[in-house]
Amino acid sequence: MTGWSAHLAVMPVALPMLAAAFLLLFNEDRRRLKAIVTIATVAALVVVSALLLQSVSAGSAVPAWVYVPGNWPTPFAITLVVDRLSAMMLVLSSILSLGTLLFSLARWAWAGPRFLAFFLLLVAGVNGALLTGDLFNLFVFFEVMLAASYGLLLHGSGEKRVRMGLAYVAVNLTASMLFLIGVSLVYGATGTLNMADLARRLSDLPPENQTLFAVASAVLGTAFLVKASMWPLGFWLPRTYAAASAPAAAVFAILSKVGVYVVLRLSLLLFGTDAGAFAGFGADWLFVGGILTVLFGTAGAMAARNLPYAAGCCVMISSGTVLAALGFGTDAALGGALFYMAGSILAGGALFLLAEILEREAPEAALAADARVFADEYEDPFGSTTVEENGPVIPAAIALASAGFLICGLLLAGIPPFAGFIGKLTIFLGALPREGSLSGAAWTLIAVLTLSSFGVLMTLLRFGVAYLWTPGDGTKLPVVRIVEFSGIATLLLACILLTLWSEKGLAYADGAVSWLRDPGAYVRAVMEHQPWHGDASPGNAPQGDTP
Amino acid sequence: MTDTLARPDLLLLSMILAPWVGAVLAGLLPRYARNGAAALSWVVALVGLVSAILLYPNITDGPVRHEIRWMPSLGIDFVLRLDGLSWLFSVLVLGIGALVVLYARYYMSPKDPVPRFFAYLLAFMGAMQGVVMAGNLVQLAIFWELTSLFSFLLIGYWYNNQLARDGARMALTVTAAGGLCLLIGVLLLGHIAGSYDLDVVLGAGDQIKRSPLYLPMLVFVLLGAFTKSAQFPFHFWLPRAMAAPTPVSAYLHSATMVKAGIFLMMRLWPVLAGTEEWYAIVGTAGILTLLIGAYAAIFQHDLKGLLAYSTISHLGLITLLLGLGTPLGFVAALFHTLNHATFKASLFMAAGIIDHETGTRDLRRLSGLRKAMPITATLAIVAAAAMAGVPLLNGFLSKEMFLAEAVSNPRDYDRNLLLPVLATLASTFAVLYSLRFIHQTFFGPPAQDLPSTPHEPPHWMRFPIELLVLICVVVGIIPGLTIGPFLATGVQSVLGEATPYYSLAVWHGFNLPLLMSLVALAGGTVLYVLFRRPINTNPHGGPRLFRPFDGVRIFDGVMNGLTAASERGASVFGTNRLQPQLRNIILVMLLAAVLAALPFWSGLGANGFTLTPPDPGFVVLWLLGIGCALIAAWQAKYHRLAAVVMLGGAGLASCISFVWLSAPDLATTQLLVEVVTTVLLLLGLRWLPKRQDAIHIPPSEQRRAKARRVSDLLVAIAFGAFTAAIAFRVMTMPAAPDGIGRFFLEHAYEQGGGRNVVNVLLVDFRALDTLGEISVLGLVGLTVFALLLRFRPGADSLSAPEQQRVQRASDERHETRQPGDTLQDTMLVPRVVMQWLFPVIVLFAVHLFLRGHDEPGGGFAAGIAMSIAFILQYMASGTRWVEDRLRIRPLKWVALGLGIATLTGMGSWIFGYPFLTSWFRYAELPVLGRVPLPSAILFDIGVFGLVVGSTVLVLIALAHQSLRKPRDRAPAHPPAPPLEEVV
Repeated sequence: MTGWSAHLAVMPVALPMLAAAFLLLFNEDRRRLKAIVTIATVAALVVVSALLLQSVSAGSAVPAWVYVPGNWPTPFAITLVVDRLSAMMLVLSSILSLGTLLFSLARWAWAGPRFLAFFLLLVAGVNGALLTGDLFNLFVFFEVMLAASYGLLLHGSGEKRVRMGLAYVAVNLTASMLFLIGVSLVYGATGTLNMADLARRLSDLPPENQTLFAVASAVLGTAFLVKASMWPLGFWLPRTYAAASAPAAAVFAILSKVGVYVVLRLSLLLFGTDAGAFAGFGADWLFVGGILTVLFGTAGAMAARNLPYAAGCCVMISSGTVLAALGFGTDAALGGALFYMAGSILAGGALFLLAEILEREAPEAALAADARVFADEYEDPFGSTTVEENGPVIPAAIALASAGFLICGLLLAGIPPFAGFIGKLTIFLGALPREGSLSGAAWTLIAVLTLSSFGVLMTLLRFGVAYLWTPGDGTKLPVVRIVEFSGIATLLLACILLTLWSEKGLAYADGAVSWLRDPGAYVRAVMEHQPWHGDASPGNAPQGDTP
Repeated sequence: MTDTLARPDLLLLSMILAPWVGAVLAGLLPRYARNGAAALSWVVALVGLVSAILLYPNITDGPVRHEIRWMPSLGIDFVLRLDGLSWLFSVLVLGIGALVVLYARYYMSPKDPVPRFFAYLLAFMGAMQGVVMAGNLVQLAIFWELTSLFSFLLIGYWYNNQLARDGARMALTVTAAGGLCLLIGVLLLGHIAGSYDLDVVLGAGDQIKRSPLYLPMLVFVLLGAFTKSAQFPFHFWLPRAMAAPTPVSAYLHSATMVKAGIFLMMRLWPVLAGTEEWYAIVGTAGILTLLIGAYAAIFQHDLKGLLAYSTISHLGLITLLLGLGTPLGFVAALFHTLNHATFKASLFMAAGIIDHETGTRDLRRLSGLRKAMPITATLAIVAAAAMAGVPLLNGFLSKEMFLAEAVSNPRDYDRNLLLPVLATLASTFAVLYSLRFIHQTFFGPPAQDLPSTPHEPPHWMRFPIELLVLICVVVGIIPGLTIGPFLATGVQSVLGEATPYYSLAVWHGFNLPLLMSLVALAGGTVLYVLFRRPINTNPHGGPRLFRPFDGVRIFDGVMNGLTAASERGASVFGTNRLQPQLRNIILVMLLAAVLAALPFWSGLGANGFTLTPPDPGFVVLWLLGIGCALIAAWQAKYHRLAAVVMLGGAGLASCISFVWLSAPDLATTQLLVEVVTTVLLLLGLRWLPKRQDAIHIPPSEQRRAKARRVSDLLVAIAFGAFTAAIAFRVMTMPAAPDGIGRFFLEHAYEQGGGRNVVNVLLVDFRALDTLGEISVLGLVGLTVFALLLRFRPGADSLSAPEQQRVQRASDERHETRQPGDTLQDTMLVPRVVMQWLFPVIVLFAVHLFLRGHDEPGGGFAAGIAMSIAFILQYMASGTRWVEDRLRIRPLKWVALGLGIATLTGMGSWIFGYPFLTSWFRYAELPVLGRVPLPSAILFDIGVFGLVVGSTVLVLIALAHQSLRKPRDRAPAHPPAPPLEEVV
């Protein structure tokens, strides 16, 4: 790899950071400039992540490649690793961001200060967490992601958001504290933070270090599973997401999946079959926890009083599904779960956006509680005329919203014919043994996933009928702007493409799983990486003259 | 027959694709294009039908297949497969579809958005074709769910109507749940057979029946079939689906979709039927459905309701025939399926015409319509006669076959009397409700109070009925010449060599089945004459006997129960409160740690502990630190100021520890951070709600409150003990010899160009971490700023603090003093000191920055120090004074800091090195002498800028709170510039 393409791996982090810095230089009234810069950045991220995906997909020679910011030798340097799993997540993160961003530009981006900077830094944090091959760097990017999410959650203000924001911050700071304790324990027990180095050292740890490492894994696992919202650690998720403004909630759809991603990444890298005493560490618990998460999420969805809450429950269900498939252990089930996760991230995000459009019809909440107290107070998000109407209004709003809702609903419920169904079908097929009868775990997995399909279908059916079919008191149709709809359409189009290319998608997911099942290859890719010798001074180390 | 076609695949494709393409096109038509949509749909149905007819010669000897690779890795491909059975069903779907389209053109109002209706109808047609032509089990399950979906959309077409919404929801709930079961069923079936391909599965009959998974598989498959085909106890959704427009009822809910379950049982009959389980489940469901449907149909006052229950009953009859498991039963089932579709579709359309013309479907109001619409009446009477099983009509033939099967008792069970008696009883009921339908609607005196005056419908609206009734008659008279060969192909395709001898003759001589038919005809007539009046005056519109078994009520009960159980489950197994969530996290972590450590327990004490003798000074320091921390925790609830100060004390202890352990760099940074955070926290305290001295706990709750406190204390102690224990173990362990830490110590100077390893780590080795951390710092500053922009303090902290009030009161008492003078006087000395410290601290910050690479210091520490300079100014002179002289613009600092740091990182791309690769060189500068100039210093400038910006941003946001005045009070000073403009 030469030229600019050699640096592709770091762009998902560096570009949004630079763009965020640029946006902060200008005041909020430079809307056009800010919108253009942000769209350009996120669109560039879509291209970059697609190129990264291309570089590790089936046709390419390398299943993974390593980029070392700082150009220090591994394992001492922080490494960024592009492999099938991280590339796939990057693509999802970019597409979700693009759709959400377009939606937000109509109104929400201007409903509070510096939304776009928060948004871009969130994307940078997510991408960094997906790319990094270093445990402490992972912590750092988790913090970037979380700090940005605090800001985004509070965006739009209002008592509900501040209240939920406080709880969210408290829960996540607790999890971050555990994360930090875990990371320092890992360092204490193994003397390294590089994931590949860690996997390499694990097999010949002295006994007392093994004990410590086991404890560290438990602590770290708890922290990640809080993020992944596994039962009983994930109660914060639905209410928080329901309180957030629609674009924030939509882009949060990937946050919990970053937790799932890390669990996937680390448990397959560290606790594979070659890991000696640690082989299969925690898999049973992940299965049980995943199943309980799916059940709890389904119950929450069935009991939901409003659509965003139900959408949050769907996010929980999809996390639980992936964790259960990971714990279940067969490659086919895991491949299906990855495919399912891709669809559910996009559809979950779209559902939050649709929910906002559908709830627009509902009478505005009493504004009395929201009256201004201070003379110089920041304007009420939509209470003033300063929020300009961006772009023309869609006439057939209801028809388009209905179609979108239908697609989201079928996808999240895993009902044919969309990607959600294909993912669940593949999980089922993966749960069936090659020969003979089904194990209890297989029956449980199939039964629980079917039950949750039914529950989600019932829930979304209820909301769909209530929002789209029940005649209101007036003939007021929701006002949807083209740019908003284009955001939702982006996400739905991605869902449909995923469905159409399901064979390719499944093949990619299977490829990712077989790559993840071979931790040795990952370790080799990282450990055998050589520092570059730059174009400017070929053959020389990057460091200049010594004193 | 003629010779076979060369390219059957194109015809196969057009049979399934035409409806889907048509659906998309219809959806794109203008909103009220009724004729266009109808014409399009008609063409589509005809194209499919003609394709099917052209294909007939190809399928007489075996199935035609066309495969499209879809997901070969899963063994699931898109296979179109047409054989005798699917051909018959296809013709049913496409043929009746064509007729229904024609009928719907006249039935639907021009005011309805009709293209949408036709789009759904065509999509349903496509889905149904997908089911019957599926050559792969999974494909079948997919299209199965699609038929449920489009049925839902069609039932809910008039969604302004509550009944339509409810009916649609119920139909989808039942059939989609069945579809999910079916998916499990076919997956198990494919698992047993080793393939999802239908031909492979059909060839693995013995293997399937012997499998231990046979029974669960059968149950799941049948759940799918029974829900779809409205078999007891899942029959209740069908009458509710009658809220759909009548063309939909005629098409989906009598002729095609409800036959999908029947189709499935027929399709899999060779591999599933014939076992005891099959007989028990399918036979029982069939006979119960037959009887209950027929009995309930008698009592319906709604024309469509009567037909719906009659449909349920006939579906039960077909299911029963399949359940018998005999080849002849199968023949009868297939034959009756076709017959039922023809007469029931025509009856529904007739009912639709009656509804259309009279404005009502209530049998009690209708009367004597034969005078107003004689042709429609004749047609409906013939169709109803076929439904009743009157000779010379097609319904008679298949019913005779049914009765013959009921009598033959192939299994030689002792219930041999039961089945014929029940079959006769059901036939009697059928005669009764058919008679009631005819008599009540068409005979008697003409009704007077109808909503509109009836007359014959347009000819083309009646045409579909005419055609279907013609088929009923022709098939009924000359079955062997008309339906015979097609039926034979259909039967042959399923039964193959097991095809039995059967005769389609009208006259089989005097035998038991004929006698049963006659008994039923006579009995039904007699019963109608006897019970006509009580049935018509029955206010419930349904049999009293079934009240407790009313499927709708049970369904509602189950759904409500599910919701209630979910709510309960979500509240019992979850919580919305923060404290239990945090407790969960800690407890789960502790439990996980213990469970994880158990297998490795023995290794814990291995290699012993490396202890260092305690130093008294250090012990005292830590005792002080621990004391501060404990007091902070103790006071956090009631005395925030004390808690913050004590927290500062604990922080100080750790600063001194760093010094003690020779980490001056950490100590410097920690000290500066402690100072700034403590000050900012103290500034924020002002806006928190007033201290509550005591929280009143009702006596009843006191025990619980106490228990909770104790348990919280235990959790806290457990967590603290855990953390202490692992920290102790790590610190007393021999250091890992090959840890990566050594590398940094060895290479910091040589290759990083700095003697201060911590700084080189921050700006070079792990610069990416630093970039992330400064982003976090920036984000936190931005969040505080955004939050405080719309911050509304509680009412009790809105007023000025007591100290200010006292000072102001004192100033106002003295005539010579201005308000605020006391404050000025008190602050005079500190103010002068703080103002003069400004340049000193700035210089100190520059110093810290420049020496950073070799000595303790660096961008971060310098930034914090710099912000202390600003904080002091704000504290000493007040916000207004400072901002009149100094505009700090912290947001720009943040932006530039982050931008410089990122751009420095990207700079190395120009030289062909990865992001954040550093480069350094020593330079001889005037005055300063030889200084190291690593590129990392640029990065450090970014860090510095961001740290200053973010800290000051928080400071200014807090400071401006005290300038804000409630809106309703006249400002004493000119209003402060809005916060947004200052930053």
